[in-house]
Amino acid sequence: MSALAAQESPTASGTSRVLDVQGLDVRLGRFHLLHDVSFTIDRGERVGLIGESGSGKSLTSLALLGLLPEDARIGGSVRLAGVGYDLVGARERDLAQVRGRDVAMVFQEPMTALNPTMRVGDQVAEAITIHAGRSSRDGGARTDRAAVRTRTVELLDQVGLPNPADCARAYPHQLSGGQRQRVVLAIALANDPALLVCDEPTTALDVTVQARVLDLIVRGVAARDAAMLFITHDLSVVATVCERVLVMYGGRVVEAGPVEEVFRRPRHRYTQGLLAASDLDTAEPGGRLPTIRGSVPPAGAFPDGCVFRSRCDYATSECAVLPPWTGTDPGHGFACIHPAGEEAAR
Amino acid sequence: MTAAISVRDVRRSYHRPRTSLRQKGPVVEALKGVSFDVERGERFGIVGESGCGKSTLMRLIAALDRPTSGEIFVEGMEVTGRRETDLGFLRSSLQLVFQDPMGSLDPRMRVRDIIAEPLVAQRLPRQAERVAELLDAVGLPAEAADRFPHQFSGGQRQRISIARALAPSPSILLADEPVSALDVSVRAQVLNLIIDLVGDLGLTLVFVSHDLSVVRHVCDRVAVMSDGEIVETGTTEQIFDDPQHPYTQRLLRAAPSMRRALEGAGASDLLGDGR
Repeated sequence: MSALAAQESPTASGTSRVLDVQGLDVRLGRFHLLHDVSFTIDRGERVGLIGESGSGKSLTSLALLGLLPEDARIGGSVRLAGVGYDLVGARERDLAQVRGRDVAMVFQEPMTALNPTMRVGDQVAEAITIHAGRSSRDGGARTDRAAVRTRTVELLDQVGLPNPADCARAYPHQLSGGQRQRVVLAIALANDPALLVCDEPTTALDVTVQARVLDLIVRGVAARDAAMLFITHDLSVVATVCERVLVMYGGRVVEAGPVEEVFRRPRHRYTQGLLAASDLDTAEPGGRLPTIRGSVPPAGAFPDGCVFRSRCDYATSECAVLPPWTGTDPGHGFACIHPAGEEAAR
Repeated sequence: MTAAISVRDVRRSYHRPRTSLRQKGPVVEALKGVSFDVERGERFGIVGESGCGKSTLMRLIAALDRPTSGEIFVEGMEVTGRRETDLGFLRSSLQLVFQDPMGSLDPRMRVRDIIAEPLVAQRLPRQAERVAELLDAVGLPAEAADRFPHQFSGGQRQRISIARALAPSPSILLADEPVSALDVSVRAQVLNLIIDLVGDLGLTLVFVSHDLSVVRHVCDRVAVMSDGEIVETGTTEQIFDDPQHPYTQRLLRAAPSMRRALEGAGASDLLGDGR
């Protein structure tokens, strides 16, 4: 199977680490948008990235794929298994080879991600041939059109599209939102990427369609033993789909850890507030919901020190200094001086 | 006592644009005979997926559109078949809040004028005082009156929409996906505001959403819509704890839940049996 063939590419590092982000820092114009974002994802691992709009989630995913505007100043490093160089500062020519082959992305809005003037089958085929063509120059087998067509139909079938052969001839506008998102997923999975980045892939979909697409994403990733970064503002979707979670606010990762632990016993006050505000299951019907006061500040208006202190009920003068990371590694811990759960521990 | 809203076998069909010169466009039935009553003071929820007809139903109740057949009564007065000039009673007793506050607030108008517009249209007195009162009621500072919608965040804009809806002191509020475009922390603030205002002012609320957990939190009674029909109606407990219709069961199962997820449910558990 091609899924297995992709695994045998010469990574040869011996570890199962797929993505290693260290100290990612992004400035755009006079705004400092991402601060010291560090995390790793291993093979077969599904990691959620949560936070409200304006917290830096999408910016992080765009930085991973080298899709930030040209005048962005980017620091830190992004290492991807199978790619011998740092993606930060890499040339566009090199990045174009990595995108779609080693890392692929599923965007929120499938209508804008697809080309409205091309049949969807051709768009899936394009994703296959672009990268296959390159390997043929390296001495690999020339891709013939019949094989590409078979593979296209196979991919469309894998993402659960009925009559995949007919679907391949459809234009995006002839498909429903859920079907379009499946096509986008087929394109993303076409080259068995080591990392799949999903940016709010089901936010625009109805619940029953969302359920189907989430299941397809999880199965597609599992079949390839790929790593996944799943970005969403919907906490219950992350809890359903992911094993680990990163909580972002104000361009920083404020808490990270296994989903179970972070959602059952949040430590950072932002995570605690977010969970309380979204928990309609246990709230008294028609009663008041706990809220976080104010709203997410615009870029550049986050406070110094702890980014959350302008909205936090527990903030003191100590919070004016950047809280240190409490925890074993960047993938497990929190950055808060007055963490939740201390009361219970004593 | 008459019901706040009474909908009797309402149908609405639309002609699709023609695709052939010889034939008329196909007819789409957006509503296929819908009937229900909303009692005064009730918080009535309508859930369903996109295209099920819930927004068409809202537009018909607000007399922004006419049904193909059937009757709608608001506080005992027939809405259907009236001319716009005869709908004054409806405009003062029933108001709407929409999903997208940026699309429903005129970007060139100051907040003062946006909130006062229903008062001006209905020639109601003491407009300046009323605007100040309303801003206070929705938790916005008095200075907000002089600013434009783009100067506010999404949650604040939705507060402005709510203030405008409350301006003519309606007794019925129709809210069509009022919190769907908002972030989680702000969603909780706006839901609290809606629940408080509905309680304090004794309003009848019709709350439309695709988000089951929001409807469950806000409403006393729920109607589930699918494909232009109401497939199930019941109290919130009945619908959520003991759904009868297969569609309701599928909908409830498909909605991701934090509690179920932490108990180990994965993406495949969101799917019903079979497909």
